[in-house]
Amino acid sequence: MADSAGQNTGGRREDEWSVCLQTVAQTQDKQEFAKLFKHFAPLIKAFALNGSALAAAHAEELVQEVMIKVWQKATAYNPHKAAASTWIYTIARNCRTDMYRRLQKFDTPISADDIWPEGESDEMFVAVQQKRDATRIREMLQDLPHEQCQILMKVYMEGKSHSEVAEELDLPLGTVKSRVRLAMKKLQLTAER
Amino acid sequence: MTKYHPDTRLLNEYSSGTLALAQSVCVSLHLNYCEQCRRAHQQLQQLGSVLFEELAPQQVDDSLLRTVMGRLDDEPEPLSYSSTAVEDDDCPPLIQRLMKGDYRNLEWKKLSSQVRVSRLRTGDAVNEVALYHINAGASIPKHTHHGTELTLVLEGAFSDEEGRYEAGDFVMRDASQQHTPTATQERDCICIGVLDAPIKFTDWKYRMVNPFLKLQAS
Repeated sequence: MADSAGQNTGGRREDEWSVCLQTVAQTQDKQEFAKLFKHFAPLIKAFALNGSALAAAHAEELVQEVMIKVWQKATAYNPHKAAASTWIYTIARNCRTDMYRRLQKFDTPISADDIWPEGESDEMFVAVQQKRDATRIREMLQDLPHEQCQILMKVYMEGKSHSEVAEELDLPLGTVKSRVRLAMKKLQLTAER
Repeated sequence: MTKYHPDTRLLNEYSSGTLALAQSVCVSLHLNYCEQCRRAHQQLQQLGSVLFEELAPQQVDDSLLRTVMGRLDDEPEPLSYSSTAVEDDDCPPLIQRLMKGDYRNLEWKKLSSQVRVSRLRTGDAVNEVALYHINAGASIPKHTHHGTELTLVLEGAFSDEEGRYEAGDFVMRDASQQHTPTATQERDCICIGVLDAPIKFTDWKYRMVNPFLKLQAS
């Protein structure tokens, strides 16, 4: 796993951006927004470049679209429910998915926001649980065997299905599936079944 | 409480955005009913965001920042959220959007005297999405699939050789499994099915229908 050198200061960094996003929501402060932009735009661009060739060709457009959505939706951001990074990642995922369908002239009445509804639960314990999840995932990901981590990167960042990953790595589909399951187990995610 | 859930692969593909639209609709509908899978999905989004933060940042030109800053005041209208959470017996809003209305407004085609089908347009060119209405106690003739079939029960319940499925239950069947879904006696059953290839009836009296069951994805 490529470690973004020097930037990883654990939970504190995450809180810093969550506070920043909250300030943007409350005061519409453009200078604070510019800070968010400088941190997240390079990640969103990387996310676009990792994706399909179609998304990669429109990387800057995706950056624009996501960051403007961040600005517009900021008032709906709830720091108890998600860290800023998680919230922005989901917007980037939704925009990349919608953009891909749009570029393919995929005519559908459904948008990504319909497919991934916002979690409606406001309960405190959910928030606590999610913070704990994020911390644990971040820590344990470092110890995940490369062969498992590589597949997660391909699925999540490159947007490839398990069969596409299997084909690319020249592995049986069953091997890809079991590595993902092993990774879920190691990261203690309930999706392991 | 739902008893049947999407597997690890489907959940991961759903949460990461790699699952095809039609299948994603099915998983998303299941999440409406299932606290456990909602929680799993939340965790997978966390995983996604951790991986996202680990990406090597790519140089973004200052001009892009200026462009975005310049556009902030252009589009002030906030985007509205559409919540797809459902009350127990309501028709999920996601389905309503696909149907452009209510179950009653749909055009149903008879598959047999007891089973009706109505195809929904999702824009997915590969996968077919359809609602099935099975009269109480009736069955869909025994069939196998060329590909994978996902089914989510919306109303009523059905059973097949392997179990009994109620509202919110998620069933995946592939080519190796043939089954005869039968609605329970008490009431009609409505479910949504997603197919990536046409189903194949194995009972001789329905076999003649096979050539007509071309996949109608749209």
